[in-house]
Amino acid sequence: MSVDGALAALEATRLAASIRASLYFFPFLESLHVVGFTMVFGTIAILDLRMLGIASIRRPVSRIARDVETWAWIAFALTAVTGALMFTTNAGVYYHNIFFRLKMAMLAAAGLNVLAFELTARRSLAQWNTEPQAPRAGRAVATVSLLLWIAIIFMGRWIGFTTTHAGAKVAPDVNIEDLLPK
Amino acid sequence: MNLSQFAGWLAQTSLSLTIQTHEWVIPTIQSIHIVAIGVALVSAFMIGFRVLGWTGADQTLAETASRFWPWLAGSLCVLLVTGALMVVGEPARELLAFSFWLKMGLIVVGTPLTWWVGRRSTKPLTVLTLLIWIGIIFLGRLIAYDHIWGAWSHSTKA
Repeated sequence: MSVDGALAALEATRLAASIRASLYFFPFLESLHVVGFTMVFGTIAILDLRMLGIASIRRPVSRIARDVETWAWIAFALTAVTGALMFTTNAGVYYHNIFFRLKMAMLAAAGLNVLAFELTARRSLAQWNTEPQAPRAGRAVATVSLLLWIAIIFMGRWIGFTTTHAGAKVAPDVNIEDLLPK
Repeated sequence: MNLSQFAGWLAQTSLSLTIQTHEWVIPTIQSIHIVAIGVALVSAFMIGFRVLGWTGADQTLAETASRFWPWLAGSLCVLLVTGALMVVGEPARELLAFSFWLKMGLIVVGTPLTWWVGRRSTKPLTVLTLLIWIGIIFLGRLIAYDHIWGAWSHSTKA
């Protein structure tokens, strides 16, 4: 089966159809998605800012990590599930959308960034745990992390403006002026 | 002048027309708004979670509040500015939406409640405060879908 065929099959599932048919389901998923990813961004930012020596510098890095990691993962799971459900409703359009593709690439990059941290600064954490800031490799990872997550948020908003509902194309024979209040 | 007329007047101001005629402005403002929401939400959550005993057990509530309150206040300022720009850019979409006014009401209640939670709090009040912040986020997103409120919405999309 081709990719487009698989995407069409996904759109044709009963689940996708029921989300599209409901007045409330998609807005509800979108709102939960926002709660999820704002929490992902905020919790990760707390750790990044600690490593950069900007905030919480009197607390050990390991303590901050323990405080936020569980919540970041719970929030990420919520974001991924709601995002996947939204994807099913219009899979073909999202898949071919450039901002969706950029966002997925950035998510993968954020994952590799975490891996880079595990392989570098994380190994010597015991030595800098109570220092005001992480060594150079840790600060680099934290900076890249902040920039990526902010960029991911921007991409997400652009997906909304270039795909479904909000950006829906008006039929060519309809004059948009007629739809607006006088 | 009623609200609808005010929205119409606002839409004709030069700042509004500038925002309307540059397609990238609204998504950019919205994205900055959402980044600030991340800071605000998690700051409120960290204060609330400390009360509930879920995070920051090595710090007192007062220490946690003084760590996160400035970030909450700062992000709320960014939210106020970007939010105001969205109102100027799309007056009818925002000002005629039921979700918008309910959201404003919850912000007016939720902000002092969070401050109170950071000073001395009971767990039920803390849970209520955290739910209010989640409600604020929901209502922000629902401005785009204001027709779900039926007759309560005066949004042009209804």
